[in-house]
Amino acid sequence: MSVRILGVAIFVIAALYTWQAGNYVVNFGDVLGPSVFPVIVGVPMMILSASLVVFPTGQVEWPAPQRMWRQAAALAVLVGYTMTLEPFGFPLATFALIALIGIILGGAAWRAALLGAVMAPALWALFDKVLGLPLDFLGTLFGRG
Amino acid sequence: MEILSLLGHGFAVAMTPLNIALLLLGCFIGTLLGALPGLGPVNGVAVLIPLTFAFGFDPTSSMILLCAVYFGCMYGGRISSILLNIPGDEPAIMTTLDGYPMAVQGQAANALAISGVASFVGATIAVVGLSLFAPVLARAAIHFGPADYFALYILAFATIGGIAGVDPRKTLLSALIGLLLATVGIDPISGVPRYTGDNYHLYDGIEPIVALVGLFAISEILMLLEKHVRDRPKAIPVGSWLPQWGAIWRTRAAMLRGSGVGFVAGVLPGAGASLGSFMAYVTEKQWSNKKGTFGKGDPRGVAAPEAGNNAASGGALIPMLSLGVPGSGTTAVLLAMLVSLNVQPGPLLFERQPDLVWGLVASLYMANVALLILNLPMIGIFTRLMMTPTWALMPVVAAVTFVGVYGISNSVFDLEMMVFFGVVGYILRKLDVSLVPLVLGLLLGGDMERNLRRAMSISDGDWSILIASPISIVLYILTAGFLALSVWLALRDHRQSQAERLTEG
Repeated sequence: MSVRILGVAIFVIAALYTWQAGNYVVNFGDVLGPSVFPVIVGVPMMILSASLVVFPTGQVEWPAPQRMWRQAAALAVLVGYTMTLEPFGFPLATFALIALIGIILGGAAWRAALLGAVMAPALWALFDKVLGLPLDFLGTLFGRG
Repeated sequence: MEILSLLGHGFAVAMTPLNIALLLLGCFIGTLLGALPGLGPVNGVAVLIPLTFAFGFDPTSSMILLCAVYFGCMYGGRISSILLNIPGDEPAIMTTLDGYPMAVQGQAANALAISGVASFVGATIAVVGLSLFAPVLARAAIHFGPADYFALYILAFATIGGIAGVDPRKTLLSALIGLLLATVGIDPISGVPRYTGDNYHLYDGIEPIVALVGLFAISEILMLLEKHVRDRPKAIPVGSWLPQWGAIWRTRAAMLRGSGVGFVAGVLPGAGASLGSFMAYVTEKQWSNKKGTFGKGDPRGVAAPEAGNNAASGGALIPMLSLGVPGSGTTAVLLAMLVSLNVQPGPLLFERQPDLVWGLVASLYMANVALLILNLPMIGIFTRLMMTPTWALMPVVAAVTFVGVYGISNSVFDLEMMVFFGVVGYILRKLDVSLVPLVLGLLLGGDMERNLRRAMSISDGDWSILIASPISIVLYILTAGFLALSVWLALRDHRQSQAERLTEG
């Protein structure tokens, strides 16, 4: 079933992609133009994905709901990191990232927090000070250090 | 003799203090990444690429660092195979079959030493092969025209991962998804922005490094969360680290056979090192399993696959450097780095940048010596570091990944993109869709389109130019042959599994 859904999803994307390719106008002096290659890619994609819908192969075992929640939590932490990195600065955001992912992976809460509290400033010092890769210590929220 | 003088020049390039330091660092990191279950060569190299960018190393130094990591991973993977019965990375799966039983029987030191020496033999034979064959292949490839390159890319997509036995339609779809992603951004020939959704972040196209770090490293975190991560078995204690040298010497024939088989598997486009170790083990078992000792701790069953996976990983560099078409996942990632550094691998690389090619080859000889030392006398370090629990390891890896990608462009958009590709990669992996063709499509797509359009400009719109040269005809015939073979294999497997289901029911 999952493979069928994947097939449908790819088919829709490929169809939109091929249809959109027609809107790219052909210029002078460029024999093929920007629209032909996308069509060459899109059409076989539609055929192959349609065949996956009709004749799917392979069985997929999705994780148990409880594990899916862990994955969703980890994903939320990762997305949260992309949103907090600039406002809160590197050490604070990274502390939260390491501590929370550590807890989700089954580490004891105080150990994961300790790890984050040690590693976040250490990584900042390593990259910003030793290796010269600029990383904000304080984020835009605290007036950027 | 020409090769020897080029190689001598290469050693001069590789012997700078910076390059030697990077080499040793790469060997250490590589062995460690290989030994840690859950982190393999693809993830390891992918995570380190953004960092090499951020530090602004030149292409030669970056390649030396990453190839040392790549080779190191192949050495390190066996450590956890033997001591934990968990392969440290995918190519090391075969080593668990005889390596763990040896360790259980109190022969851990021997198993580690045999596999270390076997890794050295395999990798060194592969590097010798690389120095001999890559220039020859590059010289032949110089005659390729745009239409021939287009045919070569088609061959690469049809064959990569094709023999692995999964549904070939999924592999092709994966490559097509990569090509689709490659067309995003401003078309370099006509200047038309394509599929950008008017988002200016996408005008430069999708940065392959960001995509592949997400596809491999972030999806690995999601994969890990599926499994039980807390209960890792205890490592087998090793009484004495001193091996018996006679035991190593007795496996010399198995090492040489494994190296040969692995090297050929590596050069051919396909599954790279994993296939190399698998083929080497199966061949060795057929050759010398006279008393049924394989799978119960036969030293030859440790030597052959380790020699095989290292020989294959070296062999996979040959098509990557001389044709610009990688033969495995990790070499695809290495290609991504070269392309991002504005180095286009392929036949011209050997003429235009001999420093890079021969400096890299020379440093690989040196890396093998360094890795042998790290993996025999200093192996105790890695067995201790290997026990770092997952909950402590993966968060730090995630943080370093974010730093590296953020360091490329200081853009949060890239980080979001990376997480997005992580989810895509996870879903595709769950559905048995290999990610390597996708990366290859994303990397080669731009070039493939450019070559097609150049060929069509030459012929003024006549499609027959694509099959006008004998080179391209041969390449298309090879493609058709490979596709037919993989479809046949897939159908056979399908029928077999159906038959099994019937007999079970």
